[in-house]
Amino acid sequence: MTADMARSGDFDIYATFERFLQDDQLIISKISPPLAAILSLAEAIVKSNAGTMFELVQALNDGAEELKRRSLNPISLNAGCELFIAFVTLFPHESDNFAELKKELEQQGRKYATEAISFRDKIAELALGFIKDDSVILTHSHSRVVLKALLHAHKTKRISVYVTESRPRGLGLKTYEALTAAGIPCTVVLDSAVAYVMDQVDFVLVGSEAVVESGGLINYVGSNQMAIIAKAGNKPFYALAESYKFHRLFPLSQYDLPTHNPNILSFTTPTQSAGQDGKTATTASAKGPASPGTPPSLAVAAMTQEQIAKNPGVDYTRPDLISLVFSDVGILTPEGVSQYLVGMFAG
Amino acid sequence: MVPAPILDVHPPNGPSAGEPSTGQPKSQKAMTKAERRELQEQQRAAKAAKTAANGVNGKQPGKPKDPAAPAGGGAAKQKPSRAPESQPKSATPAMARATEKAKAGQASTTADPMASTQARGLLIFSHFGLPKPVSAAKGDIHPAIARLALQFSTFKITGANARCIATLTAFKTVIQDYVTPPNHTLSRHLMTYLSPQISHLVAARPMSVTMGNAIRQLKLDISGTDFDLPEQDAKDALCRQIDTYIRERIIIADQVIQETASNKIKDGDVILTYARSSVVEGVLLEAHTSGRNFSVIIVDSRPMLEGKRLAAILSEAGIQCTYLLLPALGSVISEVSTVFVGAHSIHTNGAVYSRAGTALVAMMAKRHSVPVVVCCETYKFSETIQLDSFTKNELAPLGDLFSSFPNTKPRESLTLENAPSLEILNPLYDLTPPTFVTAVVTEVGVIPPNSISSIPVALGRLL
Repeated sequence: MTADMARSGDFDIYATFERFLQDDQLIISKISPPLAAILSLAEAIVKSNAGTMFELVQALNDGAEELKRRSLNPISLNAGCELFIAFVTLFPHESDNFAELKKELEQQGRKYATEAISFRDKIAELALGFIKDDSVILTHSHSRVVLKALLHAHKTKRISVYVTESRPRGLGLKTYEALTAAGIPCTVVLDSAVAYVMDQVDFVLVGSEAVVESGGLINYVGSNQMAIIAKAGNKPFYALAESYKFHRLFPLSQYDLPTHNPNILSFTTPTQSAGQDGKTATTASAKGPASPGTPPSLAVAAMTQEQIAKNPGVDYTRPDLISLVFSDVGILTPEGVSQYLVGMFAG
Repeated sequence: MVPAPILDVHPPNGPSAGEPSTGQPKSQKAMTKAERRELQEQQRAAKAAKTAANGVNGKQPGKPKDPAAPAGGGAAKQKPSRAPESQPKSATPAMARATEKAKAGQASTTADPMASTQARGLLIFSHFGLPKPVSAAKGDIHPAIARLALQFSTFKITGANARCIATLTAFKTVIQDYVTPPNHTLSRHLMTYLSPQISHLVAARPMSVTMGNAIRQLKLDISGTDFDLPEQDAKDALCRQIDTYIRERIIIADQVIQETASNKIKDGDVILTYARSSVVEGVLLEAHTSGRNFSVIIVDSRPMLEGKRLAAILSEAGIQCTYLLLPALGSVISEVSTVFVGAHSIHTNGAVYSRAGTALVAMMAKRHSVPVVVCCETYKFSETIQLDSFTKNELAPLGDLFSSFPNTKPRESLTLENAPSLEILNPLYDLTPPTFVTAVVTEVGVIPPNSISSIPVALGRLL
């Protein structure tokens, strides 16, 4: 795999990106993909041999494209890249020496990334005011910023948390383990039981892949569902997002997302699927008893990889379903997100 | 009928007005007051009959009726009310006289049916006034402006962008022909010279928001002209500024919008549009030239039937089009992927003021979860807030201005005219509330409708 990625004489941005994600020191501080992207772009600046600002921005755009292409989950990554490239473009060119400017930009990039790690603490502090003692909170899947906020609240208040399993990746179980380890009462809830549990809940707290121009939210699939149910149950729906996740994208609907492809939710011709279903049934039942500790009566059928591939990984939540967005730049309404984005990118 | 207690007219004795037997002097006062009241009612009825004949709305006959009602049923009312009619009507004879007057008032209007129907006039939208024919040019109107006014009033030039560009182009001619009178400066006098020209245009057809914004910018430029510049240079500078305004805020803005919006059109999409927006036309043509494969549904409505021209243009370009009228919208809306509409103007609260019928299309689309995209340049922003279609609108004149009927039938049989019991109403615009709009595409980006107010501030523009 490294052989594929390594190119002679060329700076391989994806390798750098992976390196940052795997970096021990940064793992402890729990770096996220957009920040790793910013760091790799910062390094790309120094390593590039661009002589003018135009060339540099060109090179950075190419690097960002490369990262997006290779990454499984490009949206949040995209947000980070766009932010950094906008920053580079708008950076005042004081020094005549271009090499010095590049150094300066790289340092700024690193500084931002280190600072950005502290954004989660700021957000946790802001969210604390909205968490009352003895709250019951519902969250979705696994989000580092939500975890931070919950652990921070746990220090001074009593909370209990429902977390969805979040199939197919089952990331909700990661959250469950982290919360129980900290001593917070936590229960895993089926994705299909969100409506069942909504009346017991005080509010919903989710993380984000990106917060978009419309004020809407892009997050792991199941967030939109949760928001609609929260609205129907008159419960507040709060999204936590660091400011580098704010994106100028404007999806008009679920199917306008960049992650949407024609394969998702497509139908296969009946003859093909019958054959496949036969296969899945046997493999599932074969899987059931095979897993240790599972009594045969509780054997669960599971989707095949092909079936899972027909399903989306992220979904889009409309702004009118979101109560507030908590970010390091403040607590914003969905309309406020657009104002912030315009001010940042157009001003 | 309970003999009504005598209510005292004068406020100082207010609370004590309840006592019925306040004595003879009080009732005498009431009687004289009643007599005075009768005289007033007679005069009022006569005036009502006269004005009814002249064609003012017949509210007057209704008025004398009001005192009859409270006086009859308001016996329990002890408080001195502000309405002078109700108070002196203590004595029944006076009351009877009042009802007589009311009947007389009614009779005078019903005796003259033609007058009464004219008297009624338009019950709604009457605050706009009816469109007036272009009067003979008062004062020194430049021929270019006169021509433009005629084109506006006969609807030869329609559409917010087209009207604005035509107005600015005409003003360029006017400015070039203008000669500063002695002892005046161009920057001060030109404005006073242009004012009657603008009024003439407004008399022909109410000014669009685009024209208003453009003229405001022009006024700013004129007042900012350098004193020391020789006249021809100043005039050339102004013309250049007008050209820049047209180029930057309309032409180039349209190009940016076309590029951005056409990216929202994907292969296999069914796009719905309403009437004819110059911007949306550009968007669809741009998407087609960049090779996207989509079809268009054009929804149209009388009397203007602007969609016909759009259908012709798009199908000529090779885009597959379907044309239908507004009532048929319900049958096709489930097939639609996105709705693209244009706007006459957009308000600070995100409401979109556009061709009448747009609100219906947006509402229907919202109901079926179809995204509604409004394509609008920033120069169409109006700093006002509008909440409904009534406070500000425009009525189209009657008659077959738009040639919207097929040539097979004689025009006269199809055109609706005002008849004694029929009033034709043709509002040209309506308001789409921001809740029905998904996104607004401007040249500064795609914005959610509720955040429109922040854009001018963020860009520091004086709109």
